[in-house]
Amino acid sequence: MLTIKMKTFAAIISLVILSGCSSSASVQLTNEFPQVLAKPKALSAAVVFEPSFATYVAKPNAKTVIDIGAAQVRLLRNAFAGLFSTLEFVASREEITADNAMVIIPSVREVQVSTPSENYLNVFEVWIKYNLDFETAEGESIDSWFMPAYGKTPDAFMASKSAAIEEAAIIALRDAGAKLMLDFYRIPAVNNWAAEEQKRARQQQDSIQQAKNAEVSP
Amino acid sequence: MKSSIKLIPLVFILALFGCSATTTIDEYRPTGEAIELDANERVVVLGRRDAGHYETDREFIGCVGDKMRGADIQVLPEQEFIDAIYPWFEPRTAPKGLPRLKRLMQDASVKTQVDERNVRYLVWLDGSTETLDSGGSISCAIGPGGGGCFGFAQWDKVSVYEAIVWDLNELTEKGRLRVDSEGTSYLIGAVAPIPFLTPVKSDACSSMGNQLKNFFSVTQ
Repeated sequence: MLTIKMKTFAAIISLVILSGCSSSASVQLTNEFPQVLAKPKALSAAVVFEPSFATYVAKPNAKTVIDIGAAQVRLLRNAFAGLFSTLEFVASREEITADNAMVIIPSVREVQVSTPSENYLNVFEVWIKYNLDFETAEGESIDSWFMPAYGKTPDAFMASKSAAIEEAAIIALRDAGAKLMLDFYRIPAVNNWAAEEQKRARQQQDSIQQAKNAEVSP
Repeated sequence: MKSSIKLIPLVFILALFGCSATTTIDEYRPTGEAIELDANERVVVLGRRDAGHYETDREFIGCVGDKMRGADIQVLPEQEFIDAIYPWFEPRTAPKGLPRLKRLMQDASVKTQVDERNVRYLVWLDGSTETLDSGGSISCAIGPGGGGCFGFAQWDKVSVYEAIVWDLNELTEKGRLRVDSEGTSYLIGAVAPIPFLTPVKSDACSSMGNQLKNFFSVTQ
């Protein structure tokens, strides 16, 4: 009887140890992101979050699954609010109603993960490689921008791999927001489009003003 | 039985000498006077996270902040500050020097967020704790008849952290502090594993926190 109990106990202990040492990780990002501290330009944009992007689940290797779809939509909603004064978020290009808006279509090229056993460092690393397609409202291509984001988190004794990868993925998403804020209007094609759009808006405003003045004067 | 008796003096010696860390503190301040801090002004302790091969861990930042709070210094939590001025203090965007900080503080929205939180001083912490050498071996076994660990293992740890204090009003550097802490930990397997852990990181945190407390003088 005692032998059976000891065997059961040993089996349970072995199972606990084996499951504790499991190298697989399944992560779903449910966190919120802070509002960006930036003054948006008086321009309008329509961001297309296609279903494949909004529900994106990354599988960087056979043992790791990261559900980043909803989190990256939340992050980009916040980030673009710091870049454009008028924004529209849609699920497909056909749903866009705004005129003269820049159409932005984000997509994920690749997600990579590196663990301390692979990089020989005491850090977990996550790379998210985005691609942003910029088009005019008429469908003409402005540019296609490759935007890599990076996050890392230190390895901690007995800490779970899932928690470390989750934190690194959140840092990578925050980094994507930072890169967007920092570099978006530095992209030459985007900068040219913004300058032209502002010029066009000014000319439109001037012509409206002239028309008003003509109406008032006899 | 004999081997267990032989282990007792070894365990005793290790308990006496094995668990203390050696800590060195280097300090630089332009003046010998303490940094004035009004009772309503706050300090924020931030970790540098732009290095490629290590990360200043949040646990250490929190520990130093707690040590400073114990001296009536109001410390704003790191994440609250970083979130309030997102994305300008992320690893990619955080100012690495005073010229960049000056440019950032010229932005009215950033200045407003800093002022609203009464943040006067910013303490940048940069460093990590690493295991250098390890030796010995210990093996554990478990079976239906019981289990146990046998052997001896030791490892050296070193903590190196540097703190830089920035004044967000005057936009100047107020001082620098460097803490080096090292020690050896032991694990003896005598049926049950007996650890003699040297609290290297905890020692570095206490030394850093206590020394930073002396940097500031809270005026009521």
